[in-house]
Amino acid sequence: MLAYVIRRLLLLVPVLVGVSVVSFALLQLVPGDPALILAGEEATEEVLTRIRQEYGLNRPLPVQFLAYLRHAVVGDLGVSIQSRQPVSTLLKQRFPFTLKLAFLAILVSAILGVVAGIIAATNRNSPLDIAALLGSLVGISLPIFWLGLLAILIFSVRLHWLPSGGSGSPAHLVMPALVLGAASSAVIARTTRASMLEVLRQDYVRTARAKGVSDRLVVYRHALGNAMIPILTVFGLEFGYNLGGAVLTETVFSLPGVGRLIVEGIFARDYPVVQGALLIVATTFVLVNLLTDVAYAYFDPRIRYS
Amino acid sequence: MRRNTALWLVGILAAVGLVAGIAWAQTPVAGGTIIFAAGADPDSLDPQNTQSNPGEQVNRMMYDNLVRFSTKMQIEPALAESWTQSKDGLTWTFKLRKGVKFHDGTAFDAKAVKYFFDRVLGDEKPFKASLYTPFVQGAQVVDDATIRVTLKQPFAAFLFRLAHSAGGIPSPAVHQKWGKDFALHPSGTGPFKFVEWVKGDRVVVERNDGYWGGRPLLDRVVVKTVKEDASRVLMLESGDADLILNIPPEDIPRLRKNAHFSVDSISTARALYVTINVKKKPFDDVRVRQALNYAVNREAIVKSLFQGNAEVISGIVAPLQNGYAKLPGYPFDPKKAKDLLAQAGVTSLKAKFWSPKGRYVKDFELAQAVQQDLSAVGVDAALSTMEWGAYLSATKTAPEQTDRELFLLGWSPSTGEAQWGMFPLLHSSQMAPKGDNRGFFSSKALDDALDRATSATSDQARLAALSEAQQVIIKEAPAIFLLSPNMVVGQTKKVHGVVNLPLELTYFTEKSWKEK
Repeated sequence: MLAYVIRRLLLLVPVLVGVSVVSFALLQLVPGDPALILAGEEATEEVLTRIRQEYGLNRPLPVQFLAYLRHAVVGDLGVSIQSRQPVSTLLKQRFPFTLKLAFLAILVSAILGVVAGIIAATNRNSPLDIAALLGSLVGISLPIFWLGLLAILIFSVRLHWLPSGGSGSPAHLVMPALVLGAASSAVIARTTRASMLEVLRQDYVRTARAKGVSDRLVVYRHALGNAMIPILTVFGLEFGYNLGGAVLTETVFSLPGVGRLIVEGIFARDYPVVQGALLIVATTFVLVNLLTDVAYAYFDPRIRYS
Repeated sequence: MRRNTALWLVGILAAVGLVAGIAWAQTPVAGGTIIFAAGADPDSLDPQNTQSNPGEQVNRMMYDNLVRFSTKMQIEPALAESWTQSKDGLTWTFKLRKGVKFHDGTAFDAKAVKYFFDRVLGDEKPFKASLYTPFVQGAQVVDDATIRVTLKQPFAAFLFRLAHSAGGIPSPAVHQKWGKDFALHPSGTGPFKFVEWVKGDRVVVERNDGYWGGRPLLDRVVVKTVKEDASRVLMLESGDADLILNIPPEDIPRLRKNAHFSVDSISTARALYVTINVKKKPFDDVRVRQALNYAVNREAIVKSLFQGNAEVISGIVAPLQNGYAKLPGYPFDPKKAKDLLAQAGVTSLKAKFWSPKGRYVKDFELAQAVQQDLSAVGVDAALSTMEWGAYLSATKTAPEQTDRELFLLGWSPSTGEAQWGMFPLLHSSQMAPKGDNRGFFSSKALDDALDRATSATSDQARLAALSEAQQVIIKEAPAIFLLSPNMVVGQTKKVHGVVNLPLELTYFTEKSWKEK
C-alpha cells in the first residue's frame, strides 16, 4: 500500500507540469492584454510599456514559461499583475477558505444525499422514493446562482438570521455551504440510491435477512459499506469541483475563495494568479483522488494495492 | 383652564416637540461604523499608482491633495489655502495650510509637497506620473508653508491635475520606509487612517483624530468588495451594508418604495458614445456620420432604458466636465437621416457594430436600441459583443489591422475637465494603438482649438477654446453622441454626509455621520 501511495504522489509532478503548460498556452491564446486591462482606458503608452516590462510580458513565450517553471519549483509563483501581491500570499489567504467551504459543503451533501438515497432505496417506488428522486432532480436543475440569491433573500433580508455575504465568522459559511451542498447532494442521493438498490439485490443481503438480522443492521452494516464505492467516487469528484469551480457561489456570497480568484484572474489576464491557482487546485484534486482510492481499500477489503 | 387655551397649549407643545425632534434627529452624532459595498477591489492604495475608481475612492478618505473638487466639479482649496499664477503661466505659488500632520505624526510642509513632485517626476515613474511629467518642470521650497511649482509650458488645467486622485500627498517618511510596498502601508493627511486591506474582501479605515478639518464624526469605514450587483442590493436590504454603489435600474423602484432607504441618481462626468472608424468607407463622409446621429432617438432611450437615470448629451463632453459648453446637438430626425444618406449616395448600408457587455450600465441594451434606430433609416448594423479585456484590445489596434466600424465606448476624464474629455479621444496626435483616438479622427480645426485650450493662461481663454473644440466635434460627428449615465447610490437613511463626486467616486469625509 505504501509503495502504491508513493508512486501516486510521484505522479503529481508530471501532472503539475502538464497543467502549467496547458494553462499557460490557453491563457496566451485568449485575446486581451493584461497591461491594458490593468491600466484602464486612460493609460498612456509609457505606462503600458512599464507594466509590460515589470512583468516580463514582452519576452518571447518560451522564455516566459521556462522562467515561470524555474521560479515555481522553488515556490515562487510570481506576482499578481492586478494587485502586485505575491501569488503565494494570495493563495495562502484564499485557499484555506475554499477548503473549509468545500469540506463543509461535502459534509452537507453527504448527510443530505446519502440519507435521502438510502431512504429512497429502502422504500423503493413508495412516495418517499419518488419524493427523493424529484427532489434530487430539482436540486440538479436549479441554478446555484439563483438558489444562493434566494437563500440570501429569505435568511438575510427577511429573517435576519444570517449575514448576506462576506467572510469573518462561521455564520458566513452556513448559507454558502448549504447552497453548494444542496447542489452536490442531489447527485449523491441518486448515486446512493442506485448503488444501494444494486447491493440490496445481492444474495448475501437476502441471507442476512433470513438469518434474522434487523433491517437497520442490514442496511447500515452490510449494504452501505459495499455500496460506498461509487458514492465515494462522486464525493471525490464533487469535492474537487467545489475547490475550483464554486465561483458562482463565491460571487453571490462575496466569498474570498479560489474560484473567484481564478475567474477574475482570467478576466484580467492575470497570468501568474491563474496559473498558480490552477496548480494548487490540480494538486489538491490529485490528492483527493488518491484519498478516494485509498478509501476504496478500506471499504472493500478485496481491493488490494501493490 | 379653558378648553380652547388648553388645546392651544397642547398644539404649541406638540409643534415645539416636533421641531425639536426633527432637529435632534438631524444633529450629527459622533461614532459608528459605516459598511460600504463597492463592486470591485482597489488595485492599489498608493495614490500615484492607483489606476481605477475603487482604489481612488478609498484614497480620497486617507489622503488630501493641494486642491480638491467640490461636488459641482469646481476647484476648492485643500492642503493649499491659496495660490497665485505668474503672468506667463509658468510659475504657480501655493500657500500651504499650517499645523497639518500625516498619519504617522510627521509634519506636512512644503518639503513634503516637493517630495511628491520629485517622486512623480523622478526615476520611480509611478503609473500616474504621466499626468504631470509632460507639463511640470519641478518644485522648489520657498519656506515651510510656501511651495513654488514651475511648468515647462503654460497649462491651464494644472489645478485639475492636482485635484485628481493621483495628487494625494503621501507621507515622505512612510514612503521612504516602505518603498515598493507603500501601497500596503498607506499614510496621508486625510480624515481616515488605514487599518487593514484584505485583498478581494475589504479595506478598513478609522478616524484620524488629529485631522485638520476637525475630528471626524465616524469611527470607522469598512469598504467591502461585493462583485455581484444583486448581492449588493440584498446586503443593503438585509442591513449588512449601509451604502451601496451601482444599483441595477430594475432594483431602483423597489428600494425607493422602502422608507428605510434612499436612492440617489447623480449626474456624472462620463459620456457614452459610439465611435466611428472614419477610415472605413462610407464613414469618412461627414454626411453619413451626421445621418447616424440624426437617426437615434436619445430621449426615448433615456426614458425607457435608463428610466430617467441618464442625460442626453449633444457631444462627447458631459455637462459635469468642467469646461462643458451647452451647444445644440442632433435632434431625432429619421427623415433628415435618410436624406443625408441619400445625398451621400448611400442607399443600404451594412455596418459592423461592437459593444461591450456589462462594462457600463446597460451598455449592450443601449447598443441594441441604437441598432434598432439605425435600421429604421436603412442602416443594417450587425451587433456583436466580446469580453471586456478582449474588447479593449480589439478596439485599440492600428487601422490596417482592424475591421471595426462602429463601437460603443465610454469616457470619463479623471481630471474632471473637458480638455481631457476630448484630447485623448480625438486629437490627431493620439491615434490608436499608441493613444485612445480609436476612430482615427483628425481635424486641424479641432487640434488647434484643443492646443489653445491646453496652453491658455486665463480661464476665459481656456473655456472659449474648449467651447470651440466642442462645436467642431459636434459638427464633424466623429461619433454617434448618446448620453451621460448617472451613478446610482443607495443608502440607509441613517447615513448622512456622503460625498458623491461626478467622477463616479463615492467616499466619506470628516463631516459624514450615521444615526444611532
